[in-house]
Amino acid sequence: MSGSIEAILPSSILILGAFGIYLAARFLRLSNRVEALLTVAVISAALIGLLTLGKNSNGILSIYGVFEPGGIQYQVDVVGNYITATSFFIGILITIYSGEYLSKDPRYLLYYPLIMLTLAGLLGMFYTTDLFNLFLLTELISITASALIAFRYKKEISIKAGIKYLIMSSLGTMIMLFGIYFILQGSDTTDISEISMNINNFSRIGAGCFLAGFSIKAGIVPLHTWVPEVYSGAPSAISALLAGVISKSMLFVMAIVSIKLGLEPSELGLYLVSFSFLNMFIGSVRALNQNNIRRFLSFSSIAQTGYLMFIMGIGFYLQIERAIAAGLFLFLVIAVTKCLAFLSAGIYEYHFDTGYIDDLHGVYTIMPMMAYFFSLALAGLAGIPLLAGFTGKWLVFSAAISTGEPFAILGVVIFLISTIIGLGGYLPMIVKQFRSSGNGFEFPGFQRELPKISIWMSIPVGILSILVIVIGLFPSPLLNIINSVINWIIWL
Amino acid sequence: MNFKEILLSGITILPLVGVIILLLWRKASKNQAAIIGIISEGCALIIPIFLLANLQSGETIQFSLAWIPNMNISFSLKLDWLALVFLITEVLVTLVAMIFSLGEKTGEKNSNHYYALLLLFSLGMSGTTLADDVFLFYVFWELMLIASVLLILIWGYGEDRYRIALKYFIVTHIGSLLVLICLITMYVNLGSASITELTTQASALPIQMQTILTIFFIVGFCVKMAIFPLHIWLPDAHTVAPMPVTIILAAAMLSMGTYGILRYPIAFFSLDIMQPFAIWLMVAGLISEIYGALMALAEKDVKRIIAYSSVSQMGYILFGIGSLTEQGMVGAIMHVVYHAIVKALLFMVVGIIIAATKERQIEKLSGLAKILPVTTVCAAIGALGISGMPPLGIFNSEWMIFAGGFGSGYSPLLTILTLMGSLFTVVYALRFFGKIFLGKLSPGIELKASPRALIIPTVAVTIFLIVEGLLPASLLSWAIQGLAVVFGGTS
Repeated sequence: MSGSIEAILPSSILILGAFGIYLAARFLRLSNRVEALLTVAVISAALIGLLTLGKNSNGILSIYGVFEPGGIQYQVDVVGNYITATSFFIGILITIYSGEYLSKDPRYLLYYPLIMLTLAGLLGMFYTTDLFNLFLLTELISITASALIAFRYKKEISIKAGIKYLIMSSLGTMIMLFGIYFILQGSDTTDISEISMNINNFSRIGAGCFLAGFSIKAGIVPLHTWVPEVYSGAPSAISALLAGVISKSMLFVMAIVSIKLGLEPSELGLYLVSFSFLNMFIGSVRALNQNNIRRFLSFSSIAQTGYLMFIMGIGFYLQIERAIAAGLFLFLVIAVTKCLAFLSAGIYEYHFDTGYIDDLHGVYTIMPMMAYFFSLALAGLAGIPLLAGFTGKWLVFSAAISTGEPFAILGVVIFLISTIIGLGGYLPMIVKQFRSSGNGFEFPGFQRELPKISIWMSIPVGILSILVIVIGLFPSPLLNIINSVINWIIWL
Repeated sequence: MNFKEILLSGITILPLVGVIILLLWRKASKNQAAIIGIISEGCALIIPIFLLANLQSGETIQFSLAWIPNMNISFSLKLDWLALVFLITEVLVTLVAMIFSLGEKTGEKNSNHYYALLLLFSLGMSGTTLADDVFLFYVFWELMLIASVLLILIWGYGEDRYRIALKYFIVTHIGSLLVLICLITMYVNLGSASITELTTQASALPIQMQTILTIFFIVGFCVKMAIFPLHIWLPDAHTVAPMPVTIILAAAMLSMGTYGILRYPIAFFSLDIMQPFAIWLMVAGLISEIYGALMALAEKDVKRIIAYSSVSQMGYILFGIGSLTEQGMVGAIMHVVYHAIVKALLFMVVGIIIAATKERQIEKLSGLAKILPVTTVCAAIGALGISGMPPLGIFNSEWMIFAGGFGSGYSPLLTILTLMGSLFTVVYALRFFGKIFLGKLSPGIELKASPRALIIPTVAVTIFLIVEGLLPASLLSWAIQGLAVVFGGTS
């Protein structure tokens, strides 16, 4: 065993933290909030480890593990660092949020360790150099995410969502297992770097299987059917994590793995661009007239996956760094805005026990800050200028138009149509919060006592709201980081 | 950075300071909020007037601050003659609307938000005219829309305002997205976000691209101008908006579309590129003129009558621009200013009528001359003004637009039809005035005294209209210099 131990530090912190916190919470009878705080500390430590790793590696990859057949190896990946650092950050925020959100739930003991394991699994998917380990880590995420989705198992909607995710996700990993079978037929190894040096038809079939498997996990149309039910059935914080970062991260893992297994970047690009049109269109159209806020956000998430696929697809198809950079920027924008939207929706649910926008007419009169936060998220997603979404849109359009390719222009047109259709969903959602027939808030279950938003919930939504504005106003620091990530990409 | 540059930035920063003060001053009464609003807007008016001397000496005043260096985007403002005409028009209109607002009920609740949004609305327009960076231009362009939508949503009339505000947002946003695509295409292909640089380099783009961009720009800006059939947002939005907002929408915001057409496709590309579109612009202008006038004739709601007259008046402006002659385009620029004055006046008259009678249906209004004498005189001058009667301003601009039409090289029939079409304007203007003010006082109307805050600005605008019509020399000179900027002048 040799190599830099730093490469496994973030994962180790998370895995050990998950077990340690579970045991400590169980035997020391820690409260939900103490467990949440400990989890924040662990994820923060992992994040610091990850950032230090990114800083110290200076473009040279750190590897750790057993360098023998069947050995477990982790190899630092700069894109993975960017994606997982974002995910860890979102993970910290949803953990703080859960400090209040789960206060009425006696089963919180398992919740935080599952979040840590999910994040550790995500990091592992980027770092692993072995296909079988990738399969196992993908399964790990499927199981931990399913458990989190079905966390409120007494609610029928939650248990249904959990089972649906587990089935669909397992279907994806099963297809990947087929892929490994094909690859073994041609290469007799599951080591990704060895396979990439000996590309053959079997490895290309395997790459196709991984493409299909990850397409399910990313929610690519027509394999998106699980998305609306899962995001509306899971706890809001988990929907935020899944919609904001986990499902979008799958697109990046998919790209990295399938290219390493022999898929041409142009083929991958073509696949992504072609299906992105469906995502953009179907996501926007289905988001119209949705009364359930989280169902609405789910469909809009499908459209956003489409936007991301489109620009990443352009980047791969034409090998344009500018498009990949726009994709990485868009990923973070979606992570922040989508997470803000789901967490805001969760606050409404927490206080009024309803997820329907029609029940929240005039909610502004009693929760003005929340109405602003949620509107900010929706306006950010709609791409209103000076917010993060607009800068993302500008970068995507710039990158696509700069290619001068007809299909890229066609994509921009579909993107535009999708944006316009999307407005028909976002704007009523915003307006209804501020709209009342003169008597203020009229939800039947409302007791006329002004709900006080817990600081545990207001801190994450406050931070995310600030980020939605700051990234929109001053995107330069983030663009600098992305440029340095792009410079290090070795798999493109 | 010298004093002039700092002053120039003040046109955008001072209203922003006003907005911040208003947002912080949550308990401000309507009068207090109005004072902050009027002072901030007043500063935005005084600064360009102060900088006029520099423009007259041939100087170009620019302000630039790095914003997003990785994307070559900066906070750049530039004041030239073209910007000046539009800037002063919109700031003046906003000021009048703010003063008029004091006399009516809009904004009595949440006054600080109301005046802050009026300031943001105006800031959107002034930023649009001053921006020298395409990113910044679009930000201001959308700010204008968002502020106006919020004003309609919060202070508009009737439950229908939610649906109408959404329609207004979505329709005009479609136009904005077309403009956005053009801006990004130029930014990407020429490697600069500076409008000044793009103006000098745009002709280097492939001809086919220039043609497509011209189409997109024109359609995008025509949505904002509410040219038929892209006007569908206008009548409803004008009807449900509170009166001060309607005044700004009709008198100032519509002209931003005109500014866009002059600043972008015409200034960017050669007249050879524009030439194939000239006839279509003139025809679209003619159709819009006649359609708007006929609808104004058919409408029964007094606010909708004046709203449709905007569609008609924008038709004249597009016709003038489409002529691609110096006279026609100078006439169009002048028409923007005169239309702003007349339209503000007519909506103020309508505001007084509604405030005094609580009635909006023209059939239920008559004989108001006997009890609203001052308003009657203002309305008469406004009606004559919009009809193009000499010596009121619109006569001057229409004269030039028609002269441009005859000089365009296209069949004189087109201009004759436009000229004949203006008869419809006379008819709806006279119907408006005759029905409401002449005849017997309609029974069942309970009159309320009109506050002075409504009457005084209305009279002031009426006097201004007369003066502007009688003394058009300076406006003509500004418009000529503005057009010189479009065709490559330095300032």
